[in-house]
Amino acid sequence: MRCSVRSACGALLALGVFSAAARVAVAQAPAEPALPARLGAPAHSAIVAIMDSARAAGLPTTPLAAKAAEGVLKGADDARIVEAVRSLAKALGDARAALGPAADASVLDAGASALRAGVTPAALHSLGEAGAAPSGPTALATALVTLVDFVAKGVPPALASQSIEQLLRLGAPESRFETLRNEVEADIRDGQSPEAAVTSRVRTNVQQLGAPGVPHPPSSPPSVPESTR
Amino acid sequence: MSEQRENDELTGTLARATRLLHDEPVPRAAWREAVLEAAERADVRPLAWSVRPMVAIAACAACLILGAAITYGVLHDRMENSAREIVASEGGSVRPGHLPVRFAVEAPNAVHVSIVGDFNGWNPAGLPMHLLSDGRTWEVEVGLAPGRYAYAFVVDGRLARDSSAAESGTDDFGVPNSVVLVGGS
Repeated sequence: MRCSVRSACGALLALGVFSAAARVAVAQAPAEPALPARLGAPAHSAIVAIMDSARAAGLPTTPLAAKAAEGVLKGADDARIVEAVRSLAKALGDARAALGPAADASVLDAGASALRAGVTPAALHSLGEAGAAPSGPTALATALVTLVDFVAKGVPPALASQSIEQLLRLGAPESRFETLRNEVEADIRDGQSPEAAVTSRVRTNVQQLGAPGVPHPPSSPPSVPESTR
Repeated sequence: MSEQRENDELTGTLARATRLLHDEPVPRAAWREAVLEAAERADVRPLAWSVRPMVAIAACAACLILGAAITYGVLHDRMENSAREIVASEGGSVRPGHLPVRFAVEAPNAVHVSIVGDFNGWNPAGLPMHLLSDGRTWEVEVGLAPGRYAYAFVVDGRLARDSSAAESGTDDFGVPNSVVLVGGS
């Protein structure tokens, strides 16, 4: 009897240790984004394979799962969802190749958006080099976001990327890009063409950044454009 | 002649048997004794538990309780983490590097309104919006890192664009999103 009790206690102790270890492992595992249940099995498998490849290449998988969820929410068919996820994974991979292994998830995401907006990989590479120092990765992510915004407003991708690169090379801080977005937005509302607005505003910013003695103009009005919160 | 031989053989066999009965038994090996003894004992015990039934039942109950406690603990951790994420993203305690962004939509007759976007994995249950006291405006404040986010409102299960925001130019599914740019300040 004593031997049986001892065996049972030993088994319980071992189970407890195993369970505690399992719990620690589960708690420490990164939260994997879940794919929507509505996806058919072939599409689900295809997207899981794409995400596995992306993970192996060091790319963020959260945007891929989000893209699949967006497609499901919008009622897209499975083939279209898989194609959209594949396209985004390719853009993220191209952004990684252009921006280098040091680019974090936010920079990669913004870089992928820039590529999908029409910026060339070579231009993105130059932007990555320009943003490596001294502005830092946060300024680079914001700069790329600004670039995508300009392209979305109708500025040619080549002009937009050259303009942003100029500012990055002059060490423009993150706040400068938000101000620039607001200024360009206001100019477009006032009737200027997107191209002219970007060209003139960037020229002004370059003069300010390149000539430290030049006094800065008063900051932009506090009103925030509708698209920029 | 043959009868005489048969009698002699019978007499010899009987003599050998009588001698064997009187002889000392042949000593058996110790291992053989042990095996025989074990076999004898096994025959005597009809059924033996390696763990007594009550102990086994108690152990099973303890395992079930332990398993339930662990499952509860893991689920509780997960829920706590996701709750923390939502609180942080709703602006209650915006994470460092994130900026509070307020989204609002007018939907006077709606029963349930939420916001979906790149920032919450397009999960319609993720960020419910709250009806303001005017009875028509739904709003939520979300903590977002600098970036460009596509989003939409879900009004009673139907997607709706934010009429006050810019439209996404790069939609993959033929349904344009609204876009918010965050950061820089």
